[in-house]
Amino acid sequence: MDQSTQAAGRSTTAASVPPPAGRGGLLGPLVLLAALAAIPLLGAGYSLQLATDTLTAIVLAYGWNLISGFTGYLSFGQVSFYGLGAYTTALLVMHTGVPWYLAVLASGLVGALAALILGPIMLRLRGILFALGMLGLARILSVVFNSWGFAGASIGLSLPAELMPVRIYYATLVLALAAFAINALFVYSGFGLDAVSLNEDEEAAAALGVPATRVKVIAFVLSALLPAMAGGLVAWNRSYMDPTSAFNPSLDLQVVVFVLFGGIGTLWGPFLGTLILTLAGEQFGVSFPNLQLALYGVVVVATVLAFPGGLTGIANRFGWLRRPIVHAARGLPQAAPPPAAAAPPAGGKLLELRGVTVRFSGLTALDDVSLTLGEGETLCVIGANGAGKTTLFNTITGYVAPTAGTINYKGEPVTALPTFRRAQRGLARSFQIPRLMPSLTVWENVLLAARHGRQAARAQAHAAWVLEVMGLTPMWRDPASRLSPGHQRQLEFARVLGLAPDVVLLDEVMAGMTAEEREVVRNAVRRLPQYGVRGVVLVEHVIAAVADLCDRMVVLDFGHVIADGKPQEVLADPAVVRAYLGEPL
Amino acid sequence: MLALQLLVNGILLGGLYVLVAQSLNLIFGVMGVVNLAHGAVIALAGLFTYWFTAHTGANPLLVLPIAGVAGALMGALGQRLLVEPVMRHGARSELLSLLVTFGLSYILIELALQLFGADFVSVPDLQSSWQLGSLAFGKALVVAGVFALVMSALLYAWLNHSMSGKTLLAAAQSPTGAISCGIDVALVRMTAFGIGVGLAAAAGVLVIIIQPVAPQTASDLTLLAFVIIALGGLGDYLGVAIAAVLLGITQSVAGYYLGGNAEYILPYVLLLVVMVARPGRFRRIR
Repeated sequence: MDQSTQAAGRSTTAASVPPPAGRGGLLGPLVLLAALAAIPLLGAGYSLQLATDTLTAIVLAYGWNLISGFTGYLSFGQVSFYGLGAYTTALLVMHTGVPWYLAVLASGLVGALAALILGPIMLRLRGILFALGMLGLARILSVVFNSWGFAGASIGLSLPAELMPVRIYYATLVLALAAFAINALFVYSGFGLDAVSLNEDEEAAAALGVPATRVKVIAFVLSALLPAMAGGLVAWNRSYMDPTSAFNPSLDLQVVVFVLFGGIGTLWGPFLGTLILTLAGEQFGVSFPNLQLALYGVVVVATVLAFPGGLTGIANRFGWLRRPIVHAARGLPQAAPPPAAAAPPAGGKLLELRGVTVRFSGLTALDDVSLTLGEGETLCVIGANGAGKTTLFNTITGYVAPTAGTINYKGEPVTALPTFRRAQRGLARSFQIPRLMPSLTVWENVLLAARHGRQAARAQAHAAWVLEVMGLTPMWRDPASRLSPGHQRQLEFARVLGLAPDVVLLDEVMAGMTAEEREVVRNAVRRLPQYGVRGVVLVEHVIAAVADLCDRMVVLDFGHVIADGKPQEVLADPAVVRAYLGEPL
Repeated sequence: MLALQLLVNGILLGGLYVLVAQSLNLIFGVMGVVNLAHGAVIALAGLFTYWFTAHTGANPLLVLPIAGVAGALMGALGQRLLVEPVMRHGARSELLSLLVTFGLSYILIELALQLFGADFVSVPDLQSSWQLGSLAFGKALVVAGVFALVMSALLYAWLNHSMSGKTLLAAAQSPTGAISCGIDVALVRMTAFGIGVGLAAAAGVLVIIIQPVAPQTASDLTLLAFVIIALGGLGDYLGVAIAAVLLGITQSVAGYYLGGNAEYILPYVLLLVVMVARPGRFRRIR
């Protein structure tokens, strides 16, 4: 009951935030599709070629949008895959005589395969390194094809010409529709949430169980498949391909400009940006034939400075083209509490560290640390700054690999398990400063944690339940960035519960809080067992804030465990008093 | 003897690379921004040098101060108007700053194409060589290498041994700390960007003394500078200098034995090899 009054009160205050659009009418897109399908009726002349070129650019834009827009890995070398695809089709048609459409499919395969091999290597890098690494790759390929005799070296390849502009147009249209569909998948699905979470905060995403490497390699492969097939179609259509046009760096510029102008990381942005700019560019090109590159440069600079969200960002302000909330476009799913917990593990130990040592080039952060967390226990780890508390957390959750020692979780070794797998198995952590996904809604932040290792319907019910128990339901559709600091901490807590964890590690959740705020958190910690949590580890600086919460207390000092026992005994221990509180006077 | 010759040529070429990379490193270090228009500035300054010397018959080295000062002023202005505004976007500012300088690079390239045409051009000065025993030193390479090294050394000395230089380093290492010490960080960033672009323009004058330049060399030069920084370490001015000289030597050897193509793609191959073999090396650059 009080839930609903809260919701009612909230809805008046939130009136200024218009609800995101649902799945809007299908009429617009259908009319658009019909118009695109009818273009060849206008005749097979220059306008058809322009339409084909525009659709090709749309395919490239949608391809780039997957890796650089949604996933946030800016690439200046997707032209590598376009070129590989172009040469695959050209070589296949020349040397094997396969029909052009099979050659184009093979192009897609080659592009995808190349991305599958390159992805795990290149995607370890972020930001500028990935961007320029891809640019370097395109340069290398350009030089290789420039000197590879079999592929015609710098002269290139001429294919047996066969004029079929209408068929090529429809093939490109189908490819563009596929590109749109894949982008729609990123907008509407949980997988898209994973991708966006990497864009927002890849480290925090791992703690929510997001398999980062798999997600970004899939995004990369898809974003290579599309330009590779487009390249194949272009090679066949022009019946000619040479290294300069296959690996032309200004193709990447065009794509960046189009997507940025339309709205990066959105569903309609690449389409709108490409359509408007190719048509405008065509007009501009007629009047000023040599200034197209400069025009693109100006558009990029102006867009970034004046409206970084692009056309879609502007449309959003008027309530148009808003992205739907994933799996809740028509409202929150029904909430349901998690099923009863599984039987406790043999021996009753949830977490067991043996001889864990962590060294960072000379500095020993943890030295031979052994500790256990029993069934139903709340363990406090205290220590001065630099005692190794955060390193301990990072080691338990897999962000830092121990130099020596083993970690067992629920009786199984997890020492070599990546962070996201530990999270999926119910070993959850919070961050000292909430690391939310700012552009995602409250609901999506929790769903992100809930969806891994759980059936879709079950995950949604669980996420809705978490919002309820944390009192976040009234603001479920607000972006995390708009929450008050207090609500942000609640959401950080809610995401931890979203994992339906067995063990919860809380990193200095009370740092910098007032006494009242601390009391709220302390109550939340006390309630954790009701939510199925079987063990809690609290790292804390303020002893008074946690002493009565914990069953057992461990004191770290310069990476050593100097005490382990009941809170009262530990706090009376002379060694602890000396290390932590200073020499008694 | 041949080995020694290649070594000396490599060191001189590397000396030029030090300047090419250090000017980008300065901006990168202070702003966390890779100026993707870096190569375009170098190319534009090189082409201007060609145009100026062809019309006045002046010594190309005369252009050095002109290009340097003009570059610095335009760099500072561009930073204030175009780059600084996007630094306020928090986590997205890296992506946005890359996009802005990416767009800017094409504006500059197009400007170069309109002003100077698309052809590769070079300056005719300093074509002969100095003979020392059986070794021959191309005058162009010696002059460019030495000038570049001296300018890089001056930059290094200024950064480490003057109050204003140290202010700049402080703003690079901890903007918040620098602000609380009363440093106007926005001004420092503008200064660093200006100096970086000015040095890039000076590097452009020296580049065209030893090799032909065309507008389309711009992105290769950006990548070259970036590869050197990646190899030497962000903000590590000595590391970058060493990496530049080593790359110069490797390129001069590879060019002699394997030909021009190998010399051209060597930086890219090196970048990819280091990415694959030692990704940890790059973690610091973020």
